[in-house]
Amino acid sequence: MLPKLLYIDQLSEGYVILITGLLIVFGSLIILSLFFKYGVPIMLYAYKIVTKGRDRKIKDISVTADEKFTGEIAAAIATAIHLYLSEKHDTENTILTIKQARKLYSPWSSKIYGTQNRL
Amino acid sequence: MKKILIIFGVLSLLIFIRPALGLNAAQTTADSTTITQTEEVSDDRFIDEALGGIKLFYNYTGFANATAGNLLMILIGIVFIYLGIKFDYEPLLLIPIGAGVIIGNIPFVAGNQTGIYETGSVLNYLYFGVVKGIYPPLIFLGIGAMTDFSSLIANPKLMLLGAAAQIGVFATFLGALYLGFNLPEAGAIGIIGGADGPTAIFLSSKLANGVNILADGTVVKNLIGPIAIAAYSYMALVPVIQPPLMRLLISKEDRKIRMKPPRAVSQKEKMLFPIVALILTTFISPGSLPLLGMLFFGNLLKESGRTERLADTARTKLIDIVTILLGVTVGASTQADIFITKDSMLIFGLGAISFVIATMGGLFFAKFMNLFLKGEDRINPLIGAAGVSAVPDSARVVHAEALKSDPNNYLLMHAMAPNVAGVIGSAIAAGIILSFLG
Repeated sequence: MLPKLLYIDQLSEGYVILITGLLIVFGSLIILSLFFKYGVPIMLYAYKIVTKGRDRKIKDISVTADEKFTGEIAAAIATAIHLYLSEKHDTENTILTIKQARKLYSPWSSKIYGTQNRL
Repeated sequence: MKKILIIFGVLSLLIFIRPALGLNAAQTTADSTTITQTEEVSDDRFIDEALGGIKLFYNYTGFANATAGNLLMILIGIVFIYLGIKFDYEPLLLIPIGAGVIIGNIPFVAGNQTGIYETGSVLNYLYFGVVKGIYPPLIFLGIGAMTDFSSLIANPKLMLLGAAAQIGVFATFLGALYLGFNLPEAGAIGIIGGADGPTAIFLSSKLANGVNILADGTVVKNLIGPIAIAAYSYMALVPVIQPPLMRLLISKEDRKIRMKPPRAVSQKEKMLFPIVALILTTFISPGSLPLLGMLFFGNLLKESGRTERLADTARTKLIDIVTILLGVTVGASTQADIFITKDSMLIFGLGAISFVIATMGGLFFAKFMNLFLKGEDRINPLIGAAGVSAVPDSARVVHAEALKSDPNNYLLMHAMAPNVAGVIGSAIAAGIILSFLG
């Protein structure tokens, strides 16, 4: 008697959990998505208004300090950096034969097969 | 071979020299007539002792204690490793778990603090992190530090797909109740449908840990092992389970729908997301605080731009360490005498069904959402399948499926949105179940 009663009770509680659980999961994710759809833009807008005074536009940046910094100087620096980073063939490593040759035997210094004594 | 012979020779010499020495010791006190007698007696006793020792040793070996269950589980462990290596199904999980299954099923004599279920054994200490739910939040920290939520922020409505797939959790919960599991056990089994290993372990360690006592006085079963194994193996099998369902439920035309690329998300929004989502979700479902708290904390570490070092550790070393420990101990917890039960088989059945229901829930809900969306805003229903968590495998499966019907339709970024929403959703679902039943 008792187990059956418990069983039925469990199932009905299961349904309660099923419905409420699904609703809560949906509800919380809907709230989250609504917040990011509408809440966050508002927050960002508010932040923008609050910090407006300190936000510097490009036209606000004074150019007097950089008057002598012309396009030519910039080009020269850029070229130098480019050359330094990617055109460094002149200063390549000169140690060429540090790795062991894959072949165990090579006749490069052979006493038998030389230019003098061809077979 | 020669070496083995030498070793054997030395060993046998050592063994035989002892009675000889003992004989020498006896010789000093005994008469010459008794010497032969003692020799005979000691020889007899020696052989008996040696045989007895060998017998005792044999009784301690795996060969004497092996049961069919052990051998079956070892075979399953090897299959896990094979699947991980050969088919690349979540090898980071399947290989530790497979090795753990083998470790956990080597037969041994109980009582020597060897097995994972014996208090005081080393494996038991490592298993502590599973039983007390320590590892899952740490994994979530790493996942948070890895995950880019920008596709979700760009298109918040895709969050609903992550919620829709949680229907698998609750349907499995109900199915488990019908099969006669009691409420906490059913809740823990249901979370397999969340397709999220750490969440499943977390919830089962809280609800079905073999320690809690129910209202009617019985103790809940320890189902952590079967639930974790079921969750992880079905997660690994996502590339097998989902594509047929997608092809069955989504028409060819719908599969070809192209979605407009997500808008660029500013860094401010990315920073805001973990904080806002943390506060909102955990206020609604405080039970999921350990999981979601760590998830969003990890994401904040990543997005804040100032804590790159911490984020880097969380998403590489920390999560690796925890994954290793979690995988091996979860695998080892499948000790045959505890694991091979009718309940485990039922759990495996329910797990498969829950994955199917969760995938179908996501797909149907995506079709349902399309009824309200027009033109460019329409979503490709395939991404609904990514609502089951299984990050990032299910998103990859969606991407691959979409490419099959239209080789230029790249859905990966879109599929990641419901994918990470699924993680949040299943953690919320776990929190709800915990608050109802914990």
